[in-house]
Amino acid sequence: MTELAQALRDLDEKKVYALVDKKIEEGTPATSIIAECNEGIVAVGQLFSEQKYYISQLIFSAEIFKQVIKRIEPLLESTAAQDHRGKVIIGTVKGDIHDIGKNLVITLLRGAGFEVIDLGVDVPAEKFVEAAKDTGARVVGMSALLNFTYPEMKNVVDALAAAGLRDQVKVIVGGAPVNEKVRDFAGADFYAEDAVQGVNICKEIYA
Amino acid sequence: MNPAEAKQLFEERLGRYQAAIALEPTDRIPIATGSNYFAEVYSGNNHQQTIYDPERWLQAEEAFMRDFPEVDVLRNNRIYAPLYDAVGCRTYRLPGRDLPPDTPFQFVEKENMKAEEYDEFIDNPTRFLIQRFLPRIHEEFAGPCTARSHLAWLKGGMAQMMMAQVMRQRTIHLEQHWGMPQPMAGFFLAPFDALADVLRGFQSMMLDLYRYPDKVKAACDVLVHEMAHLALAYADPLKRYPIFVPTHKPMFLSPDQFDEFYWPSFKKTIEILVAAGHTVRAYLEGDWGAHLHRLLELPKGKVLCDIDTQGDIRRAKEVLGGHLCIAGGVQDSLLILGTPEEVRAHVKELCETVGRDGGYIISGGCNFPYTVKPQNFRAMIDAVMEYGVYDPDIKPKPKPPQPSRVPVAELRPQQFITPWEVKKAEWGGVKGDEELIRRSWEQLEAMAYAWVWQWLL
Repeated sequence: MTELAQALRDLDEKKVYALVDKKIEEGTPATSIIAECNEGIVAVGQLFSEQKYYISQLIFSAEIFKQVIKRIEPLLESTAAQDHRGKVIIGTVKGDIHDIGKNLVITLLRGAGFEVIDLGVDVPAEKFVEAAKDTGARVVGMSALLNFTYPEMKNVVDALAAAGLRDQVKVIVGGAPVNEKVRDFAGADFYAEDAVQGVNICKEIYA
Repeated sequence: MNPAEAKQLFEERLGRYQAAIALEPTDRIPIATGSNYFAEVYSGNNHQQTIYDPERWLQAEEAFMRDFPEVDVLRNNRIYAPLYDAVGCRTYRLPGRDLPPDTPFQFVEKENMKAEEYDEFIDNPTRFLIQRFLPRIHEEFAGPCTARSHLAWLKGGMAQMMMAQVMRQRTIHLEQHWGMPQPMAGFFLAPFDALADVLRGFQSMMLDLYRYPDKVKAACDVLVHEMAHLALAYADPLKRYPIFVPTHKPMFLSPDQFDEFYWPSFKKTIEILVAAGHTVRAYLEGDWGAHLHRLLELPKGKVLCDIDTQGDIRRAKEVLGGHLCIAGGVQDSLLILGTPEEVRAHVKELCETVGRDGGYIISGGCNFPYTVKPQNFRAMIDAVMEYGVYDPDIKPKPKPPQPSRVPVAELRPQQFITPWEVKKAEWGGVKGDEELIRRSWEQLEAMAYAWVWQWLL
């Protein structure tokens, strides 16, 4: 693991920025800085899986990563479009406006090299369908905090089927009130217990 | 129900509830969620009606009590939307106003205090709330002072009195006509949550742990006293009901962070309230698994802990059993999606394991959800009646009411915006009985103080 990846893993904010600034000065390509950071983010996710890190640490690592991207954004414009691991559509289902969990998953997905299509909160079924149609993504992720949304998750899965897209996409559900029983009720393919597991499922789908 | 029947039922229910909290023997496991969302909409009213029309809300719960008389408590404090409208409060999206009428209200998490404002907040938190915070969350206070903004403050105070009147009448009606006690009275937040929920907001607060750790701790220390005063302002003067505290952020914290930032000020606040003669009902929201053992430091039998859906009720019983009462265990998703047979088997198992030896209250994860199937709710109750009985010969009786105020040395006096001594000096003293004037002056200061601080919830 590189020094930069380690600093990010250890949440040493100042050191990360200093290393990134130095690399920019030295003319290191933006893509390789991102690759190092991705390695750090993956390590953070690993520590989370081992219960050595908690959500606060995931959030802080995401913030540091965001600041790094801000620093190298000017360089990114001049480089060609990056290779992505795959596209993932994600949104909080209709009726629910909570986004902490969803946003955390998005950061980790981007950290792992996915292209994320973020539909935001309170997303109606037709938006999920439209996005799946337009982007050709193979994963649709649904997030919720409130348990009155179970029927809405099922709605989305049914709408994907009605649009003839059910075989194209795998559907992942996640969020505080979700479990295996809810996944089964909604007809989704996977239930992600936490953000890191969600990312791992996406990796498997695109493997 | 005649008054004598209602009184008897009230005492039985309250006695059962209090006994469970105090870890004392009683006749059966109480069915006593703090937040019965299911009951609020039971008669087919929508969410807008619940928060705008107290009559419709009560009708829903009366229908609920007729069908489920075995339930032991029904909550009283609810969002009263006219108060939120009077000041243009934006911390919640309300059904019928910002959301479709059949959608539950939802909290909007946002940064309403800047990182560079910590010192100003710590120096005088009440002043900070009035001058900086309220203008940010209440759109009516956003601009410079005008006739409209002055009137909005006044309307906010008046709406508060209207709400108090609604709640008082409800309390009396529920007690005298239905024999129904409250699950809790009064509320506060853990100092860390007070700072994190509406002031700094979740995202900023998580970063503050790394960037401004000392400021976070100093702010939490100051908030101990403000939260204790807020809790005491709306607590049950007879001390029959626990004071309510929902906890929001521990689920995101590592054990080290919890021990350093969350626990010391939270523990101190609870200790003050217990020393003042009260009990506390704490919703342990999310998964508290990494922090549960800390609760053993709290006074035995004084704090009722609600275990959330993501928590592990069996582990909670292992850790806290014999020291604090726990509530919860009935899986929300099962009540919503399961069958009566599944619910029955699940609740039977809870009664026989977690419920054994008392100190346990039947509830969902900090609530009963809105969309519970009625037949599942019935199955849950029937299972408690069958498997949750300890000793049918015990006739539960409430503890004697404790009306006297107990002063607590650790609690700093309330920091008023205009202390009586300041006002008296401006007048150059008073000519008659000072005490008569001072008492009402301070009472109004205290009421206004509680009004300001409640907006943190």
